[in-house]
Amino acid sequence: MGMAIRRSLAAVASILMAVGLAGTARAQSTTASAPVTLRVGVTADLDTDNVWALSGGSDWTVATSEYDMLMKFSSEDLTAAPSLATGCDHNDDYTRWTCTLRDGLRWSDGQPLTSEDVAFSYRFVIDNKIPQYKSYFPNDPVFTTPNATTLVWSTKEPTFGTSTPPWAYIVPEHVWAPYDGKELKEIRAVGQTPAVASGPFILTSWTPGQGWVMERNQYYWGPTPALDRIEYHVYTNPEAMVTALKNGEIDAADGLEPALINSVTNAPNVAVQKVVSDWWLNLAFNFGGQPGSDYTPMPALHDLDVRTAIEMAIDKNAIVNKVYQGAANTGDTIVRPASAFWHLDIPADQEFPYDPTAAQQLLDEAGYRDTNNDGIREDPNTGQPLTMTIPASSDTTGAVQSGELIVGFLKKIGISVDLKPATDAKMNDYWGHGNFDAYIWYWSGDPDPNYQLFVFTSEQCGYYSDGCWQDKHFDDLYEQQRTMMDQTARQQVVQEAQLYQYEQVPGVVLAYPNWLEAYRTDRFTGWIGAPGPNGYLLPTYNYDPWISLKPMTGASSSASSGLPAWIWLVAAAAVAGIVVIVVMRSRRTGVDEA
Amino acid sequence: MGSRRYLLSKTLQAVVTLWFVLTFNFFLFRILPGDPVALLARSEKLTPDDIARLQHDLGLDLPMVEQYGVYLRETLTGNLGESLTTGIPVTDLIKTRLWPTVLLVGLGTILSAWLGVVIGIRGGWRRGSRFDTTSQYGSLVLYAMPEGWLGMLLLLLFSGMLHWFPAGGYASSTLTGTARIADLLDHLFLPLLTLTLGYIGSFSIVMRSSMIDTIAEDYVQTARAKGVPDRLIRQRHVVPNAFLPAFTLIILSFGFVLGGAIVIESVYSWPGLGLLTYQAINTLDYPVIQGVFLIASAAVIVANLVADVTYGYLDPRIRQA
Repeated sequence: MGMAIRRSLAAVASILMAVGLAGTARAQSTTASAPVTLRVGVTADLDTDNVWALSGGSDWTVATSEYDMLMKFSSEDLTAAPSLATGCDHNDDYTRWTCTLRDGLRWSDGQPLTSEDVAFSYRFVIDNKIPQYKSYFPNDPVFTTPNATTLVWSTKEPTFGTSTPPWAYIVPEHVWAPYDGKELKEIRAVGQTPAVASGPFILTSWTPGQGWVMERNQYYWGPTPALDRIEYHVYTNPEAMVTALKNGEIDAADGLEPALINSVTNAPNVAVQKVVSDWWLNLAFNFGGQPGSDYTPMPALHDLDVRTAIEMAIDKNAIVNKVYQGAANTGDTIVRPASAFWHLDIPADQEFPYDPTAAQQLLDEAGYRDTNNDGIREDPNTGQPLTMTIPASSDTTGAVQSGELIVGFLKKIGISVDLKPATDAKMNDYWGHGNFDAYIWYWSGDPDPNYQLFVFTSEQCGYYSDGCWQDKHFDDLYEQQRTMMDQTARQQVVQEAQLYQYEQVPGVVLAYPNWLEAYRTDRFTGWIGAPGPNGYLLPTYNYDPWISLKPMTGASSSASSGLPAWIWLVAAAAVAGIVVIVVMRSRRTGVDEA
Repeated sequence: MGSRRYLLSKTLQAVVTLWFVLTFNFFLFRILPGDPVALLARSEKLTPDDIARLQHDLGLDLPMVEQYGVYLRETLTGNLGESLTTGIPVTDLIKTRLWPTVLLVGLGTILSAWLGVVIGIRGGWRRGSRFDTTSQYGSLVLYAMPEGWLGMLLLLLFSGMLHWFPAGGYASSTLTGTARIADLLDHLFLPLLTLTLGYIGSFSIVMRSSMIDTIAEDYVQTARAKGVPDRLIRQRHVVPNAFLPAFTLIILSFGFVLGGAIVIESVYSWPGLGLLTYQAINTLDYPVIQGVFLIASAAVIVANLVADVTYGYLDPRIRQA
C-alpha cells in the first residue's frame, strides 16, 4: 500500500483520537456540578437585543423575560394583573389613571426603579414614534409623577389606560435618556447584551445563529426563580430540534412543525402543548380600489352570494386535519380565540355549513351558470368565467397547502383558481399593488381586539386592509367600541362587529392553527400556560413560567446524548492498530511492489 | 509570455471580475420582489409613515444609482453596512460566522480532497481491480447523493436512533476549556462526516480519470520499456502529471469554502456563512446578502487566481500559451 494511503489512515486515526479525547472530556465535564439550567430549542433566532427594534424571531420572548410592563397580562385570561404597579385606578370619566408602583424596585444594575422610569418609557415611545408601541398611547397622554411610586396618566378624552395593559416595556431612564430624540436608526442600533432591566432574567450573551443565554437577575422584585440560567439553542432544521428534545439535549422546544407532531406525541418523557391560537389563516377577497392599482379583481366577488358560496364550499375540517394534522381549530371570526373574553364563537345555527351542493345551488340561483360546459361558471353580467388568481404565502405555515385544497374545493362548485405560492416579500407586493382576486395569508393581533377590528375598517384601504373591503356599518361598530370604557358593554359591540363581518364574508377565516410547544416531563415541573392551561408554556404574554418552573428531583442537568467515551477510545485504538498492521505489511511487500 | 506579465494579466482579470461581481450582486438583489422594510409592516405594525421613515433612515429611498455609488464607496473603505433586520454591522456578523464555516467546510474540503485523491490514485493505477470497482461505484453514489438527504440519514441514524451525537447546533457558549472543545467536536462530527462523504466523490473521480489518461501517455510506456520500477513510475511520472486537474479542483474548492455549505449547515443548524446567506435572502437583508456574496465571490476569484498562477508554474506549457 502506498505512502499516501498510510498517511490518510494516520490522519483519520488522529481525528478519531481527538474526538475520542473529546468524548472523554465530555464525560468528565458532565459530572461537574452545574447551575440549574433550562435548555430551550427554537427555530427562530433572535433578530435583535434592542427593546425598541423588536420584530419577529424570538425577540418578544426575550424582551418579555427581561422587561416588566406597568401592568402585565394575567396567565389566566390575559386581563390586567399587577406587575411593577400593584394596581391602577381611574377617575369617573376615564381621563386620568393613577397607578401605584411597588416599593423598593430596582434595575438589574442595582439602580432604583421609580415612576419616573415608567413616565420616561412611555414618553420615549410617543416622542420617538416607536412603531411597535405607540398605538397603545392614544389621545396625547400626559404622564406625571407626584412621587417615586405614583404615576398619573392623563388625557383630554377618555382612554382605556391600563385596563388592557399597554404592551410597552418599562426601560431605565439612566440608560436610554442619552438616546432620546435621536434618529430611530440610531436608537435601534444600541446593543443591549447585557441589558439593564427589571424582569427575572437578563440576556447575558447572544451569538447570532447559535443561541443566547439568560441569567437570573439578582435584583428581581418577585419570588426568586428556581432556574439559574436559560439557554436557547437555535435549530434551523425542525426535525433536528425534535430529535434533540427526544435525546434530552434540550428540555423544551418552541414552534414545532405540525407535520412533526406525531413523532413527538408518543415519545417517552415528552409532552406536547397545543397552544390556543393567537393567529389565523385568512382567505381574503380583493374588492379593488387600492391607490395606484389598475387591477380589476373578479367582479363577482362584490356579490355576497358568490362569497357565501365560496365560504360554504371550503371544508375547513379538511384543512385542520390534513394541513395542520389536527393542531388547529376551524376558523370563524377575525378575533382570535386566545382573546377569549372578546372572541365570538359563532353560534351553530348562524354558521355557514360546509355544503358544496348548497353552494352550487346558491350560485345557480344567483345566475352564475356554466354556459359553455367547460366546468367553469360564467358571470351573467360580464360573461367572464369565474376564475381567481390566489397568491398564498409560502412563509406562513399551512397557507400553500390550504390553497391546494381550496383549488379542489372551488373547482367542485365551478370556480377556477390559479394558485400562486409566494414568499412574504412577494405577498407584500401583491398586497401593496392589489393585483390579486384573493390571497391566503395570516393575521395576528393583540389580546385587545381593537387592532384586529381596525385593520378591517374602510379607511385602511391601501394600508392594512387585505382587499379594501369597505362597509360603513362595520366602521360604525368599530368606532363605537373604541370609545366604550365599560368592558362588558364593549364586549357586546365587539362581538356584534365580529358576527357582522362574518356574515358579510369579506374573506374566509380558514383556521386557527395552534402554536406547538413540547417539553420533557422528566426535567422540570411547574409548566403553566398563558392564557389558561392551553396557553403558551414559554414566555409570550408574561414571564410567569420562569417563576413557576422547578427542577425535578434527580433530574440530570446535562445532555443525555453522546457516544460513551470508552467506545471512542476503542475505535481510535482499533484504527491505530489497523494503521500499524498496514504499515508493517506494506514494508514487507514493498520490495515485491518495487 | 513572461512570468511577470502573466501574473499581471491574471491579477487584472481578477480585479475586473471582482468589480463585475460587486456590481452584479448589488443589482441582482434589488430586482427581487419585495421591499425589506415593508416586510416588517405587519409584525411591527408599521404605518406608511413609519415605512417611509425607516426607508429614509436606511437610504433605501435614494435613487438606485445613488445607492450603488454609496455601496461602492463604503465597500471600498471596508464598511459593509448594517443588517436591516438586526442592526448588527455586517462585518461583525460575517466574523461570527467565519470560523464555524472555515472549520467545517475547510476541514471537510481538506479531508475529502485528501481521501479522494488517494482513492483516485489507487483506483486509477489498478484499473479494474476490486478496489477500483468498489471505490468507483462508491464515489459515484456519494457524488450523486443530495447532501441534505445524506445529512438527514446520518442525523436520524447517529443522533435519532443511536443517540451518539447531538442533533445539531454548535458548542455551548457556557462551556469553557476542554469541555468546550469536546462539545465542539461532538457537534462537528456529523456535519463534517456528511460534507466529507459528499465531496469525496468529485475528487476521486477526477483523480482516477486523470491517472488513467496519464498512464496511457508515451513517456509512461517509455519508462516501463526502460525497466523503471512501477513504484517510481507511479510516484515520479504518473501522479505528478495526473494531479494537475485534481489540483485545480482542490484550489477552486478552497475558494468555495467561504461560501459555506448552505444545505449541510441548515440540516445541522451549523451557524456558518451558508446559513447566514440563506437567512439573509429570506428576509431580503441586502447589506448582509451583499457582504456574504462579496466575501464568497472574492474567495473564489482569489482561488481562481492562485490556481491560474500556480498551474502556470506547475505546467510551463500554460504560461507559454
